[in-house]
Amino acid sequence: MFTSVLIANRGEIAVRVIRTLRRLGIRSIAVYTDADATARFVGMADAAVRVPSYLDVEEVAEAATSAGADAVHPGYGFLSENPAFARALAERGVVFIGPGVHALEVMGDKIRAKEAVIARGVPTVPGSSGIGLDDAALTAAAAEVGFPLLIKPSAGGGGKGMQVVTEPEGLPAGLASARRVAAAAFGDDTLLLERLIESPRHIEVQILADRSGTTVHLGERECSLQRRHQKVIEEAPSPLLDAATRERIGEAACEVARSVGYEGAGTVEFLVADAAPDEFFFIEMNTRLQVEHPVTEQVTGIDLVEQQLRIAAGEPLALAQDAIVLRGHAVEARIYAESPWRGFLPATGTVLALHEPEGRGWRLDSGLTEGYEVGGGYDPMLSKAIGTGATRDEALDALDALLAETVVLGVETNIDELRSVLSDPDVRAGRLDTGLLDRRGTPAEPEPTAEDLAVAGALLASWRGGGAGPWRLDGWHSGGRTPASAPVVAEGAHRYRVGDETVWAVRQGSALWLHRGGRTLELPAPSRAERVAAMLASRERENGPVSPELRTRMPGTVVTALADGTRVEAGDVVVSIEAMKMEHPLPAPTRGVVRIQVAVGDPVRRDQLVATIEEETP
Amino acid sequence: MTVLASTLRPDDTAARTHDEAQRALADELRATLTRTALGGPQTSRERHVARGKLLPRDRVEQLLDEGSPFLEIAPLAAHDLYGGDAPGAGLIAGIGLVEGRQVMVICNDATVKGGTYYPMTVKKHLRAQEIARENRLPVISLVDSGGAFLPLQDEVFPDREHFGRIFFNQARMSAERIPQLAAVLGSCTAGGAYVPAMSDEVVIVRNQGTIFLGGPPLVKAAIGEIVTPEELGGGELHARTSGVADHLAENDEHALQLIREMVATLPPDPEPAWDVLETVDPVVDESELYAAVPVDVAAPYDVHEVIARLVDGSEFSEFKPLYGETLVTGFARIHGHPVGIVANNGVLFSPSSQKGAHFIELCDQRGIPLLFLQNISGFMVGRDAEAGGIAKDGAKMVTAVATTRVPKLTVVIGGSFGAGNYSMCGRAYSPRFLWSWPASRISVMGGAQAASVLATVKRDQLESRGEAWSAEDEEAFRAPIRQNYEDQGSPYHATARLWDDGIIDPADTRRILGMALAVCARTPLPESRFGLFRM
Repeated sequence: MFTSVLIANRGEIAVRVIRTLRRLGIRSIAVYTDADATARFVGMADAAVRVPSYLDVEEVAEAATSAGADAVHPGYGFLSENPAFARALAERGVVFIGPGVHALEVMGDKIRAKEAVIARGVPTVPGSSGIGLDDAALTAAAAEVGFPLLIKPSAGGGGKGMQVVTEPEGLPAGLASARRVAAAAFGDDTLLLERLIESPRHIEVQILADRSGTTVHLGERECSLQRRHQKVIEEAPSPLLDAATRERIGEAACEVARSVGYEGAGTVEFLVADAAPDEFFFIEMNTRLQVEHPVTEQVTGIDLVEQQLRIAAGEPLALAQDAIVLRGHAVEARIYAESPWRGFLPATGTVLALHEPEGRGWRLDSGLTEGYEVGGGYDPMLSKAIGTGATRDEALDALDALLAETVVLGVETNIDELRSVLSDPDVRAGRLDTGLLDRRGTPAEPEPTAEDLAVAGALLASWRGGGAGPWRLDGWHSGGRTPASAPVVAEGAHRYRVGDETVWAVRQGSALWLHRGGRTLELPAPSRAERVAAMLASRERENGPVSPELRTRMPGTVVTALADGTRVEAGDVVVSIEAMKMEHPLPAPTRGVVRIQVAVGDPVRRDQLVATIEEETP
Repeated sequence: MTVLASTLRPDDTAARTHDEAQRALADELRATLTRTALGGPQTSRERHVARGKLLPRDRVEQLLDEGSPFLEIAPLAAHDLYGGDAPGAGLIAGIGLVEGRQVMVICNDATVKGGTYYPMTVKKHLRAQEIARENRLPVISLVDSGGAFLPLQDEVFPDREHFGRIFFNQARMSAERIPQLAAVLGSCTAGGAYVPAMSDEVVIVRNQGTIFLGGPPLVKAAIGEIVTPEELGGGELHARTSGVADHLAENDEHALQLIREMVATLPPDPEPAWDVLETVDPVVDESELYAAVPVDVAAPYDVHEVIARLVDGSEFSEFKPLYGETLVTGFARIHGHPVGIVANNGVLFSPSSQKGAHFIELCDQRGIPLLFLQNISGFMVGRDAEAGGIAKDGAKMVTAVATTRVPKLTVVIGGSFGAGNYSMCGRAYSPRFLWSWPASRISVMGGAQAASVLATVKRDQLESRGEAWSAEDEEAFRAPIRQNYEDQGSPYHATARLWDDGIIDPADTRRILGMALAVCARTPLPESRFGLFRM
């Protein structure tokens, strides 16, 4: 076994890998960029090396050598499926915890992958084959594939650049668009076509293969709940499959692995039509640990990272296929920094308060700490909540309860939306498909209830101090029982008892983040003065430009005046009046062109119009 | 100091009965307050809001510091008067915090008959001014009023305690360096125009606030001039031309913010007139107050049970505990403020009256404010009492109450009958504040006694003429008298007429007393003029 392993990754997966390394007594080395210098995984690791980027093959490989790592765990994403990285490590005599370069290369190319598995008799979605087909060839292939179909970039993944075409007429436009995106995103505009399976279910099988070729599967995961092709909620096992299909799909997955001489942990993805669950089509193989691997760990009791380490160290698999039993059910929800009500746009911010609860049936894989800054530079996934139970219902309930108790304040997250998804009748019933989440659309921004506001008021009042005396600022009113008079007791740094409930709250500038009854709200609570200032400013905008007229404030004599037609900026002196032995300048209220009504030497009355400012016409 | 021990057993049938009955009365009070707080009729509130104006309670709320408590004065003034047309007498008055300073807010409710002044409106406004003057509270007037309620002009206009007194008070307070600030949020017509005009600093809202001595209809009638209200006395005119207003605001929120900025320039609240310690909760459960006091004012109970639930740490240093026991006197603290408590535990005899006078003198000499807990059926009557000089001993106590230099607070927790009301610092003895509990009763004597007295007089008349009076006839004579006393003895009848500063939930008593003591402590105590006369 290794003595020292470098984790070429960040965030929750780095934390998760370090946990297993620590349990196995292996030294952990983190790499980090400047943005992550204070991240949880950096502090957790036994050593940490700064790198310019997690994608920098040479620097990360060099970090492994310099820190004395004998192996590198790449996590997922970044360099995890990069053959160049595997090679760079091999050159330095450092073990890459993952499959061989051959498997990486074949499976990294969807077209070659498909060819490899077809040769082994694994069914694939009807689609175009061959590399470098031009539009004409693809159009011809489309007729065979059939409509509706999907245009996919050969390189890349994650659904980027994919196009759905329902009819032959839409093909040319779809191809053009897909090529543009593929070229821009991956520097490679190679496209392929594939039949679109309607109401498709995304089912994937976890496999483990050792150096001797022994291959087992650990059952399937269903990842049909996706938003714009990004997985959001995953579970194991799939509510769709029966035992016989599970056996067949598992065997097919092992066959896929064998087709490339796979070594390590991998995931074989299949599409399954809702209407015909016994029929499955290979999509691709992910040659790494998946984000959603915990659900498999929860139902099999097998630590996949440990298995990866053992296989990479050359140990034979100690698991026989018939000894792998799935017990119960596990569901994972990905917690993203995003604003669901703004079309799920990524959100940024600083984690001001964090509560990651522990409990029976609860697992939270997280890379967060209080004070951590969620920037826009990396994947917006913050953590993963996993609920486990004897049945699917129990697992869903456990996950919902875990999400309700999970508190992330300071950054908008999808936690409330995840809870809403979990309560969707189709989700509860297991009627899943990859379009379900997109059909739900954009949720409304959560509105605070009167009770939320009352609790917020009580908190704000208690923070203002106000003391313990009878004139304390608790909103008390003779004759009224204001809810704000609920007593507030601090139970922790950001945890409060308000009346008879426990809430989490933290102040951010004038806003208040509040977690209450399993919901998180960001309440803007500007001071009175700020509100009035904002109101006045908006009034001024509504009322349009200020008066273009310049009037004298006292009687006197004109001593200076700009020439008629002069262009001025707001604040430029247009006319000066001498009165009571003093000069009184009249500045322009807005920019524009001056129309002068008086001449130097003219006597003027109080309030006399001396000039107007005309808006400049372009 | 002795920590008072409670002998109350809250699970007793009697205690549970009291608790239920007191809570029912408190709930009724709360419901009445909530209903009254709405102000004028729905349509008139909607019209008010449609004009872009904040409702009066929202104005007060926006003016006060966020989370500020609000000690409202006479929220049920004019209750059931004027055909129920004037909830709260169309005026909100109370003490709250602005920029951390205690201030008296007086806010017209234009949803109630255009904010015009009924007799009780005038009385409430004057009472709020009196509280402000006695306690040196800056006054903030949020003006939105059509002036006197014309149908009742003879009851609001000419007399000493009528409309004109408001401006008299403003001038006098300003002279005493008690700031007078005003926001003109609506009409200020005729007499109403003087509220801002008599203020130290004034803000007016553009296109909303108007100040004029005569409105457009009167102007047209008097001199034939046709003008719009805005031209005649709008914000632009007064802020730019007349100078009647000092600041021009865009709307209510802006005006209230400007008032807040004015208050920020006032000196901070003065140091208290006596030493104030940290507040300590009573040891005895405050929430048992309901159970400790029967709602029937004739039912006896020990007032120590009330004191134990009002004072800091339930600590009470009793004075003369073995003498004149029907009056309980002693020192305690409420929310850290020292207080001398005078509480009834039965009818007043000569010794108890003397003890009361003595104790009041003690507090006066030591500069300790007084708290009267009234539950008094009166002074003892009868030959022995008169022969013992009850009139002279009662007079001693009344004199002490009337002349003491220390602030007095009164809470009518039970009956308030006859001269007992006077010796226990009733309204006529100018307590700084006076509140009633919902179960309290107030009248010159009990209804049954009054009926009996009047029936005896009548029977004597009839019998002197040789006429008979049947028992039925006598009962028919007594019943309406009893009913009349019953109706007029109600605290709602009292509070509607400003005989008190409000009916309060017993559970709020400790807090309200603490707030009031802090307010009273603003005014320095005058010098003592006499040594102590041992009675």
